[in-house]
Amino acid sequence: MSSIAEMAATRRTAEGRRRWLLKAPALATIVIASVGPLAVMLVYSVMAKGAFGGVALGHFSLDGWTNVFVERDPFDDTLVLADANLIIFWRSIKLALVATLATLLIGFPTAYYIATRPEQVRSQWMLLITIPFWTNLLIRTFAIMGLLSNQGPVNNILIWAGLIDKPMQMLFTDGAVLLGLVYVYLPLMVLPIYASLERMDFNLVEAGYDLYATRSKVLWHIVIPSCKPGLIAGSILVFIPAIGAYVTPRVLGGGKNMMMGNLIELQFGQGRNWPLGAALSICLLVIVTVALIIYIRGSSGKENAHGG
Amino acid sequence: MLALSQPIQPQTADRRLAVQAIGLHKSYGTGASAFLALDDVSIDIAENEFFTLLGPSGCGKTTLLRLIAGFNFPTNGQILLRGKDIAALPPFRRPINTVFQNYALFPHMSVAENIGFGLKMLGWTKSRSVDRVAAMLKLVRMETLADRRTSEISGGQQQRVALARALAPQPEVLLLDEPLSALDYKLRKEMQVELKRLQTETGITFIFVTHDQEEALAMSDRIAVMNRGRVLQVGRPREIYNAPVDRFVADFIGESNILSGRLVGQAAADAHQVRIAGAVATAYGKAGTSGDGTVQVLIRPEHVDVLDSPSSDCIPAVVEDEVFVGTDTRLQLRLNDGSTFTARLTNSPEQEKIRTSGTQVWLRIHSHSARLLGGDHVQHR
Repeated sequence: MSSIAEMAATRRTAEGRRRWLLKAPALATIVIASVGPLAVMLVYSVMAKGAFGGVALGHFSLDGWTNVFVERDPFDDTLVLADANLIIFWRSIKLALVATLATLLIGFPTAYYIATRPEQVRSQWMLLITIPFWTNLLIRTFAIMGLLSNQGPVNNILIWAGLIDKPMQMLFTDGAVLLGLVYVYLPLMVLPIYASLERMDFNLVEAGYDLYATRSKVLWHIVIPSCKPGLIAGSILVFIPAIGAYVTPRVLGGGKNMMMGNLIELQFGQGRNWPLGAALSICLLVIVTVALIIYIRGSSGKENAHGG
Repeated sequence: MLALSQPIQPQTADRRLAVQAIGLHKSYGTGASAFLALDDVSIDIAENEFFTLLGPSGCGKTTLLRLIAGFNFPTNGQILLRGKDIAALPPFRRPINTVFQNYALFPHMSVAENIGFGLKMLGWTKSRSVDRVAAMLKLVRMETLADRRTSEISGGQQQRVALARALAPQPEVLLLDEPLSALDYKLRKEMQVELKRLQTETGITFIFVTHDQEEALAMSDRIAVMNRGRVLQVGRPREIYNAPVDRFVADFIGESNILSGRLVGQAAADAHQVRIAGAVATAYGKAGTSGDGTVQVLIRPEHVDVLDSPSSDCIPAVVEDEVFVGTDTRLQLRLNDGSTFTARLTNSPEQEKIRTSGTQVWLRIHSHSARLLGGDHVQHR
């Protein structure tokens, strides 16, 4: 006969096993889809590059990482700063930040407008906001390309209006890429802000007016703090895909206005430098993580200061 | 119009008026679907008065409060604050603050920051504002919770914070929109006393909205009874209870027996002989007949004696049910004209008497307690 303590122990181990079994699918998904690929990237980044793409497995080399920042001059073999890469880094960060800011400035009033409509009208607006998602990103981006091209409607209208006398070069500029990013990611900003505004108690706005706050003060002291979670979520949802954008800079930026996504693709494709591509990918990951930490720390810190 | 026809109190007549509503109309929507939320409302509210707007939901009391606060604007009419027309001013330009039904405390601020918000918006200096917030916290007895988040305090405490926040900028008028409705019974009783104390201590005019007649009677200096966008009667709690102008007010305030009777003669200038269910009683008030000589007579359940033997001018009745409710016993009776009557008898241990269903009794109406309901107002029902 086993003692009560032994029985309890067996039951505990059985329970422990069952708990692990229940966790297994989630853990497997995380390992296969997230941790695994990251590990592969990390390993690839410290291998020598293969002659025809891929990596020379087993041949340890830090060339991938050094190539992120410096490159060997093909003529005199000296090391020079890889300023092309750094320019692309900077452009990516800059465009992603400006796109996030622009979507915030456009998205907040949009979301506020929708959230203050009557209920049935609200869902119609939300439908309109999500309609662009039904069309392929590439097609939408090509549509913008058509709009901005030298013979496109925008240039034609400007010429017709007499504002310019020959077509303005709009396509293949940073501005075009920015426009594309803002257009593509705007709904990702509007939706979370709308969600938090919809949950907001509009009595708070009246309470603000009642306590001598003017419209702008109510906006600043009450509405914006109340929908801060939405503003943060929207910014993250826009910034992350924007900094790694591939299609938009490829189509609207032409060959020369690359962003990190294009640079990485180049290493895995024509460049045949997989270790560099892997190292660049990890750099992108680090930039995004650091940006997120700074952003979330900054905004929650302010909130704490508010809360006293 | 109705409000103006009421005699103005002698002790309020010489007091300065805080708020005056003159011929206020408010309608929502247009054309056939338009809804008239306020229909020609005129009210005078004196300074330092605890004034209550009382009525069922949808009677227009909250609409009136929102017009005074400035959240909505009247379709027609004037709102005067100490003689100045404020009907077109936005809420942040009116020295009037509101305690909201759900309190509407700012969730991202602490208790102290909530209370100081109005002061900050008014541009008070930090040190002055800190002192005022401390005084307010003391006033509502919340000193120890100044740094708490509003989500970390109880409903009753939130209520106090909402009060302190609205009182902090020293408004000329404080509006309270059913502030006690979310509290449980015991807390509500406590807050009634607390509110009355705050009003007396601060000397600020309170305009209080409620659908709870007991609350209104207990706290108010004067009450305006509203229904369907109109003010039916304005008066002190006793007046409203003892001399309601019409059937609606009589029904809404307290328990009431409204019987139809027939005028048989005049006893004095404001007293008439009325035949009710086989007996003749003296009823007071204006005799408004509805054409065929019948009148409505109000008798409160506590204003009758129940006798076990017949006596002159008593109304015969049959007991249908008896309910013991602690301090009182409630008797459901049927009169011989078929109408029902509720009598409320105060219990005392030495003279407890149980009357079973079917017992014949006689009702003696206390002198001066039968009230004629004015015919002028019958059409409101």
